[in-house]
Amino acid sequence: MDMSTLLIYGLSLAAIYGLMAIGISLLWSSIGMINMAHGASFAVAGYAAFSVAELAKPLILATLGKSFAGTVAMAGLCLSAGALTGAMMGALIYLLAFLPIHDKPNFAVRSLIVTLAINLATVQLLLWFFGPKQRNLPKIFGLGKVEFLGLSARYDQIGTILGTAVILGLLLFWLKVSRKGLEIRAMMQNPEGAVLSGISVRWTALPVTMLTGALAGLAAVLLSQSIFVSPTSGAMPLIKGLTISLLGGLGSVPGAVFGAVIIGFLEAVIGAVPWLGQRYVLFGTFLFIIAVLVIRPRGIGGLLDKARK
Amino acid sequence: MTDTRIPGKTYYEIGQRPQEITLKVDGAKPLHRHRLPFTRRHLLKWRSRLNPKTLRQERMLADKKPLWWTLALGLLLVSAPFLSNSALTVAAVFCMFSAINVLWTLIIGTAGIFSLATLAVVGVGAYASAALNVYLGLPWPLMFVAGGVAGLVMGALLALPSTRLDGLYYALLTMGVAEICRVFVQQLKPLTPMNGSINNVQGFIPADWALQRPGLLLGFAGAFVLLLLALLTFRIVNSERLGMLLQTAREEEAYAEAIGIDYRRARMQVFLISSAGLGVTGAFYAQYFGSISPQVFSLDQLMVLFAMIVIGGLGRAEGAVIGTALVVLIDKGLLDLGPLRILLVAAIMLAVTLTTNNGLTGIREQFRGFRRRRQSEARARRTEKGGEVMPEEAIDINDKQAIYYRRFDKRLRDRLKALVTPDVIEEHRQKPLGQHSDALSRLLNYFRRGEVADKYAIIRQAGNFHSYKIVAFSGVRGAPPRLVDDRIYTDINEAYHAVFLLRVNDLMES
Repeated sequence: MDMSTLLIYGLSLAAIYGLMAIGISLLWSSIGMINMAHGASFAVAGYAAFSVAELAKPLILATLGKSFAGTVAMAGLCLSAGALTGAMMGALIYLLAFLPIHDKPNFAVRSLIVTLAINLATVQLLLWFFGPKQRNLPKIFGLGKVEFLGLSARYDQIGTILGTAVILGLLLFWLKVSRKGLEIRAMMQNPEGAVLSGISVRWTALPVTMLTGALAGLAAVLLSQSIFVSPTSGAMPLIKGLTISLLGGLGSVPGAVFGAVIIGFLEAVIGAVPWLGQRYVLFGTFLFIIAVLVIRPRGIGGLLDKARK
Repeated sequence: MTDTRIPGKTYYEIGQRPQEITLKVDGAKPLHRHRLPFTRRHLLKWRSRLNPKTLRQERMLADKKPLWWTLALGLLLVSAPFLSNSALTVAAVFCMFSAINVLWTLIIGTAGIFSLATLAVVGVGAYASAALNVYLGLPWPLMFVAGGVAGLVMGALLALPSTRLDGLYYALLTMGVAEICRVFVQQLKPLTPMNGSINNVQGFIPADWALQRPGLLLGFAGAFVLLLLALLTFRIVNSERLGMLLQTAREEEAYAEAIGIDYRRARMQVFLISSAGLGVTGAFYAQYFGSISPQVFSLDQLMVLFAMIVIGGLGRAEGAVIGTALVVLIDKGLLDLGPLRILLVAAIMLAVTLTTNNGLTGIREQFRGFRRRRQSEARARRTEKGGEVMPEEAIDINDKQAIYYRRFDKRLRDRLKALVTPDVIEEHRQKPLGQHSDALSRLLNYFRRGEVADKYAIIRQAGNFHSYKIVAFSGVRGAPPRLVDDRIYTDINEAYHAVFLLRVNDLMES
């Protein structure tokens, strides 16, 4: 594998991991919840996009045919179905794992267990309804390669990288300028102070959970361009997202992005080195993360003071 | 002492624990308490006390948990020979997982280190002992030693960064360690030829007994002994010196450090002890199943174990065992249900974590807290209404005279309130001093008898004749009276009447 393929592959991995990691990081730093059901949101959104695509395929073929417009319509449909389902899963997580217990003792551990239970149940239900068979989504970016400045990249890789960049840009912009974004950022900095300034925990948590769910849904649709949708397909992105958000420092969006890029490239490199190969990918990344955490106990971008324990 | 109860009259038990198990104390006999051999510990926690109601000396069982433990474990042991083969396997698996969870509770609860590498330590112990057994022919009793040593080494490696990282970051690191172990074991081709697993481990169950009835019984017996040993370790570590030191540190780290408790060292010691125990459990695991596979390092398995201890209640041995029993029973016992049983486990996890603060074993405490809150609310309501002492409050007041006085006072005030009429007030307005009607003199007598804190005084304004203000006493020595309002009375009788009205007002509001 030459350098350019490696670069594009690493960036596309980084894009998807970044989407997952920022969701987990945002959720933890603003409402203090480790979302183990993030992978479930991912899988459910993947299946929702798959079902919608299956339903809409004949219709789009009939009206638009195999044209550019048809691909665009399919892409829009898949992405919006994924994002909507992810947001709905986020709302479900909010209703089950946040709303009833957010002001009770042991919230952190209890919400972890509740989201774990949601994850278990969702994976089982998906297995029940769709079976263990892997499905693949329509190629929303089309098939083909593009050569640019000596770099060769597949359409779906470019689509993933650009799509993620746009989504993250929009997210950061929204966090920066909107009233809700301000409230969320206040919550991240100092939850107690935010509450004292009249910011409602409940009405901040709902958009955060829905937003992170939507991010997981988008990540699912984007990742399914390169791999398949299966009931357990959420487990790996969840682990990756969790580790990257910790590597980047919980609550730090730039840290998460940076961590995602590092890990994406690390994985691409380890996978490409002949005497290491794909099976050593997790091994290598974990060793790297442990090394980083031992040197910097609060991750790359994490604050060294105790913002949220 | 004779029974002073009047026959035929209904008596109600009052207080929170009328049915407590107590022994009568025979004053003629000397107190004799059995100690456990070689220790200064007693088997049961009997406490002598004076019963404040009956005024008799009695002995009360302060901690009934040993009885429950004996009952539950005894039932399991007695019923084991009558179980079917599959149920026996479930029971053995339950014992093994309980042992792991009890030792894990020691790490999370007692030491306060949020480690998720429990199964990694178990797996390392299992792999080390199994490899030594299979390739070097180590006899099975020594496998436990090998497992323990492997666990200890693993624990020491894991303990190093635990002082530096906190909470979640450390949890992630340990999770990563489990993943590293899994990949490492799978890649170690010469040691683990069968896709990462080591098979044909010789154990304490003879080879020709494997999967036969006697073999299963022996396996269960071994697992039961393992559970007992884990519980013993928990008891010795958690409730003796190390546990006490760490309990102080849990409540206030800076304070513990200030009085000379090296809590970091104590945490490390607990961590190492539990890791060695987990290694031994791993050796047992490999022997019981006769093989060990990388499945032991998987995240799913770890999360199910974590769910067990959270369902049971974090930080308690009984929580670990109860949670394990519940989940193992559903997960392994109801195999006929198929995928439905995972949903059932998830539903139980949801229900327990959403409703209880600290798992199933925390329910009792949670309920007590709830009841106490309700009682104090109700008490506050009643105190607002009349100030009379209700039975539940009465057992908290040592001076019984105060109870009777408040009851009398309440009834007196009720009667006096009925005496306050416009006629009486008009009579006082016209003639504050002098001879009064019966109702008014009763009222005034009551007011005069009141405590200083309830009383008012009339202050003559300096430099002015016939200019008065009303102040209220604070009732506290040294604290000056406070002005009731700024109104100036130019007639002393008017001021007397104003004080009377204030007192009547207080009475009607009490």
